[in-house]
Parts: sequence; structure tokens; C-alpha cells
Amino acid sequence: MTKSEETGTGNDPFEIWRQMYDANERAWTAALEQAMGSREFGESSGKLLETLLAAQKSVRDNMRTYLETMNVPTREDIARLGELVVGLEEKVDQVIDRLDAIETAGRTKSPKRGQ
Amino acid sequence: MTSPMSPAWTDAAAGVWSSNDRALEMARAILGSVDAPVGMTPKDLVWRKNKARLYRYRRTAPAVHRTPVFLVLPLINRAYILDLRPGASFVEFLLGEGFDVFLIDWGTPGDEDRALDVTTLVTRYLPRAARAVQQASGEDRMTVLGYCIGGVLATCFTALHPELARNLVLLTAPLDFAEAGQFGQMTARDTFPVERLTDTFPIVPGQVPDIGSKLLNPIANYVGTYTRLWERLGDPTFDVGAWQAMYRWVNDSVPFAGAAFRQWIVEFYQENRLARDMLEMDGRPVRMSAIHCPVLNIAASRDQIAPRATTSVVTKRVASSDASEIVIEGGHVGIVVGRSASQNLWPRVGAWLADHD
Repeated sequence: MTKSEETGTGNDPFEIWRQMYDANERAWTAALEQAMGSREFGESSGKLLETLLAAQKSVRDNMRTYLETMNVPTREDIARLGELVVGLEEKVDQVIDRLDAIETAGRTKSPKRGQ
Repeated sequence: MTSPMSPAWTDAAAGVWSSNDRALEMARAILGSVDAPVGMTPKDLVWRKNKARLYRYRRTAPAVHRTPVFLVLPLINRAYILDLRPGASFVEFLLGEGFDVFLIDWGTPGDEDRALDVTTLVTRYLPRAARAVQQASGEDRMTVLGYCIGGVLATCFTALHPELARNLVLLTAPLDFAEAGQFGQMTARDTFPVERLTDTFPIVPGQVPDIGSKLLNPIANYVGTYTRLWERLGDPTFDVGAWQAMYRWVNDSVPFAGAAFRQWIVEFYQENRLARDMLEMDGRPVRMSAIHCPVLNIAASRDQIAPRATTSVVTKRVASSDASEIVIEGGHVGIVVGRSASQNLWPRVGAWLADHD
């Protein structure tokens, strides 16, 4: 009696799958690598992506038009507000940078004054 | 016909029930991974800008080494990869070796960050974060350590601010895209619609780079992961928690700010500007030859995301006379986490950092 017969794994569908996977994984990987490494695959997947993006853009544009008609702020409107806040934070950072630079320059000059 | 009471029938039924139990265990492992505890090393927030956060990891004893380590993480993955879980944490290892550790987490960009590009991150974020490292540690210079895209950011930053870096350490950082492997083919100028993608999605969904990475080895990623899990669930020594933490990270993708994604694909992958000495940021040339500090470049032997051909350029280009490369057996992620990382990578990096303190 084999081990699988003893434990009943011979009838286990996952075990059957695992054995099939172990036996074929390398061959499947090599075949896919070859197919996906081809220029044709690149062109085809590029076209597929373009089509999906065109559909997605159309949905987004329609939604924006609908929300604008309903006088409801769109996602872009809210993002623009967020951009203003991010821009303001950058300006505050620039002011802090300048203050730091002035402070550093003051620190390097002060010993000379004392001499 | 076999009788339902026959031994063959009973055997078959036992096999099916055993599979059923294992399948439920597998479902529990996968579904539970969403809440797997990760990034547990205690840390303090020392600086923030927009979504970016700079953390300093807490030490129980004063640092033995004076040079702080500033970890720069990739844009497309969660930062907890370097602090996955206790015992599988590079951060925890560095703290144990006596280093003062800082980490920049880029956070999750929102629609308001659509104009955030790689240049802004390198010229506006990293210098300010580095200043926060200086102020918190009291040291003028630091070890800049970048992982994957974080390594590219770290290289650009060090080239623009050589005065801030005592050392540069790169973990699987793709810098030369002349032979970028399958990713290079996927993102080729004449087939990859990057403009349309970023026009449609101001913030590129995390699934885009995630699917791209998984397609590098689709059988192993989409089938092998689950086949191996099923197999290992039968092993009483299998640590489900460790598997869940890793599975959580692999599937916890981060959206990419549209402008950063476009710049990454066009200027780095398609035009290879950094390796061709054509990259400019804020009007300043970014040249690897401007890097004078010691450099340690680490590559993975079976890396499909950052193949050897993309990583090895740095040691040849930098002006430093102390530039070395280590090739670790493993893949892009495997070399930084897990048992082999704690045996191979971490001790070697720790020893190199101690020598270059």
C-alpha cells in the first residue's frame, strides 16, 4: 500500500492539483515567459490597456458632466482645494527654510563680531 | 457500481473532507492577512510634509554608532516591508546593532497630489527630511539607505546633496534601464500608453504596478502562492502569521501620483536619463559621478523587478574610491525579509555600516 493510499490523499483533489502543478510549473512558466516577452504581446496588451482607459475616461467625463449639471462639486473640485492646501504647506516650508538659513548665517557671523 | 459503504467510497469521502478542512484553513489564512500585525517596532514622528512622514525608531539604549541611518522607501509599496514583524524586521536588526534609525514613509497620495513628481520628492521632501534627521540626531551626515525605487530617490538625493551623506547603501535599486528586462518591454515607448493612463487616472491605481510586478512571474504569483500555502498548511511548523504578514504586504499596493508615475516611466525607463547623464531636477544636473561617499550596492541574483543589469552601474559611475557590490542569492523581496535576509543580508549590511561609521 502506498503512503497516499494509507492517508487517503490519493483522492484529495488539492493533492492531485499539487502534483500536476509541481510537474508542470516550469513548463507553464517558460511558455508564458516566451509569450509575454514577445513584441506582439506588448503591442496587444498596450492596445487592450488603451481601450480600457478610453472606456474609463468616458465614464469619468460623463460623471463629471452630470455632477456639474447637478451643481455638485466634482472630485476634481475637491482635489483642487487639496492642491491649494498642499501648495500653502510648501510655501510655509520655504519660509522656514529661509528663516533657518538666516539663523545659520547669523550663527556663523556672530563669533567674528565678538572678536 | 461501488457501494457507498465500500472501503473505496469511504476513502474518497475522507479525502474530500480533508481537502475541505484545508480549504477552510486556507481561506482563513488569506482573509485574516488583512489584519496581520505589521510594522510593530515603536517609533516617533519627527517630521511630516503632505502625506510623507519621517519616523525615528525608539531605542532602549543610546546608539553605539554615531551615523544615523536614513531609510528611503519605494513609492509603490508600503513602508513596513523593512519592519515586517518582530524577528523579521531589518529596522529591529539595525536598532539591535546600535544604530539610530530613521525612515521616510511616503504615505498614500490622493487626487490633490496628481502634480507630485519624482523631482519634487527628491528636491523638496528628502532635503527637509534629512534636515529633520540632522536636528533629531545631532549629526550633520547620515547613511542614506534606499530600497528599490527608494534607492533611485536616494541616489538622486545623494548626487544633489553630497554634503549630507556619509554613506550610500542601495538595496536592489534599478538605475540603468538600457536592459530593463520584462518591465522595460512592458513600459516601452511605442506600446505603453503612459500619457493616456495618467490623463485618465490623476493617481495611478496601485493595482497597475502591482499587476505589472506579478506578471513578471504569473504562474508563481497567481497560482504558486496558493498551491504552496495549501501544501504548507499541512506542516505543523508552518508559521501562518509570518505568511499572512508577507501576503498582506504583497497585496497592499499603493497608488502612484500621476506626475511621478509619468516621470518614472518616461525619464527613467524609456529615456534612461540617469544612466545617460541627462537627468535634471529643478534645473540641476543629477550625476552619479557627484557621489563621493562610500557606496554599498546590493543586488539580488534572481531579481526580475530590478535585474542585475539595471543595478550594477552605480559602483562604476560614482566618484568614490570605496564602492562595492554584494550579490545575494534570492529575489527582489526575499533578500530583505525572512530567514535568508537575517542570515545573509542584514549582518553584511550591519558590518559594512559599522566599518563606515
